[in-house]
Amino acid sequence: MKEKKSIEVGSADEFTVGQFKIVDVEGRQIGITRLKTGELRAVRNHCPHKGAPVCRGTIGGTWPPCEPGEMKYERDGEVLVCPWHGFEFDLITGVELYQNEPTKLLMYPVTESDGRVLVTL
Amino acid sequence: MDTVPLQRPAMKVIDCDVHPYVKGGMASVFPYMPEPWVERFKRKRAAVNSEARSLKYLHPNGTINREDARPPCGGVSGSDPNWLVQDLLEKNKIEHAVLNCLQTGSLCSTLAGTDESIVLCSAFNDFLIDQWLTVDNRLKFAMSVPTQDPQACAAEIRRIGKHSQIVAVSLPLLNILMGNRYYWPIYEAAAEMELPILVHVTGPDSIYYGPPISAGGIPDSYVERYVTLCQAGESSVNSLVFSGVFEKFPRLKVIFVEYGFLWLLPLLWRMDRTWRQLRHEVPWVKKSPVEYVHEHIRFSTQPIDEPRDPKDLDKLIEIMGYDQLCFSTDYPHWDNDMPGQSLRGLPPAQRQKIFWDNALTTFRMR
Repeated sequence: MKEKKSIEVGSADEFTVGQFKIVDVEGRQIGITRLKTGELRAVRNHCPHKGAPVCRGTIGGTWPPCEPGEMKYERDGEVLVCPWHGFEFDLITGVELYQNEPTKLLMYPVTESDGRVLVTL
Repeated sequence: MDTVPLQRPAMKVIDCDVHPYVKGGMASVFPYMPEPWVERFKRKRAAVNSEARSLKYLHPNGTINREDARPPCGGVSGSDPNWLVQDLLEKNKIEHAVLNCLQTGSLCSTLAGTDESIVLCSAFNDFLIDQWLTVDNRLKFAMSVPTQDPQACAAEIRRIGKHSQIVAVSLPLLNILMGNRYYWPIYEAAAEMELPILVHVTGPDSIYYGPPISAGGIPDSYVERYVTLCQAGESSVNSLVFSGVFEKFPRLKVIFVEYGFLWLLPLLWRMDRTWRQLRHEVPWVKKSPVEYVHEHIRFSTQPIDEPRDPKDLDKLIEIMGYDQLCFSTDYPHWDNDMPGQSLRGLPPAQRQKIFWDNALTTFRMR
């Protein structure tokens, strides 16, 4: 089994809330963004549905299930919407929202150390 | 006068689509109307003029009715309840037949004005309760409502909806999709009475402004029109689900009668895919459209499409699932299907669902 390794992808201030910075790591495109909590997320730029560059989609909130005639909005900054077919993914867990059999984003462990950001492949 | 002997099905049968014809038309229901309205319709000579249809949509063989189903005592096919019981129920061992009167339907959807339709609807309903339901307890009734006034529909449902042989509300559709809030007072009353909503083409569809119209334009012949009538069913299923009707009325059931059903499979795939992609536009749709349709909507079988290889039909029904369909004859119309000759390739347990079980849990059978 291939040994995992951590690779430096930039300085901490390059990765901001509400948007992805896409970096090339050993031939793989990985989008890195910061959640409002300060945690980082590293996502393979490949939608599990049809291979779209998912990290170029929209980071925002979601309109959860509600009664007819109502409208709610929540989780702003925690949801990624694919730019192609609109699948909604939970950026906390990577799991597609509201589905019985959801797809899931491929996410990598990502850490900060002395102001540098490291992704583990 | 006799029909060709039919092979009897070895199972119980509920027929979801039978058309009673009020012999003598509107004049026969005058005793069930207030006098000012009787005088109004007499003055208009409405009783003779109210069933006009345009030339190009007349049936190519002159009548939509089976000539062989005419009552021995004379009159239009479907106009004698005693003969209907013999000719349809006895011969085919049908235990319940759901009556749906298209004379009422066409008046309520289109041919009568709003106030006229309210009065006529009650009169036709009362005539059928009085002169048909009393003939045989196996005759069940999908009572009509005057769709042009949704509050009047709700009142009519509450007026007669408790009758033990009334098993559904026949809703003559307008060219307003079924999810529209226009219809919600009707759904509320039907759900309250535990009656499903039954929808069926009423006759003026794709002919007049008022009822649903075929997509893309007006057909040019009876044949063209007939083939496109299913389109309103497809649009309505879509509208019901995405408008959140089944979240608003969790006990409501709907049965689409004579719209066909094979179109359902690609429709559900399309609805499910699009919901998955864009559900946040309609967040009241809390689960896949496929689940709502399986829980709340049923489809009658007639007119069963006929692939050249009948196994193709059996395969498609297997993919759809056997819980969606309820058997119907459409007696006494020309394109009817009889139980002994329908869906014979399906396994017996699955036929039982379609010919009996599904209807039993859809209609208000007591």
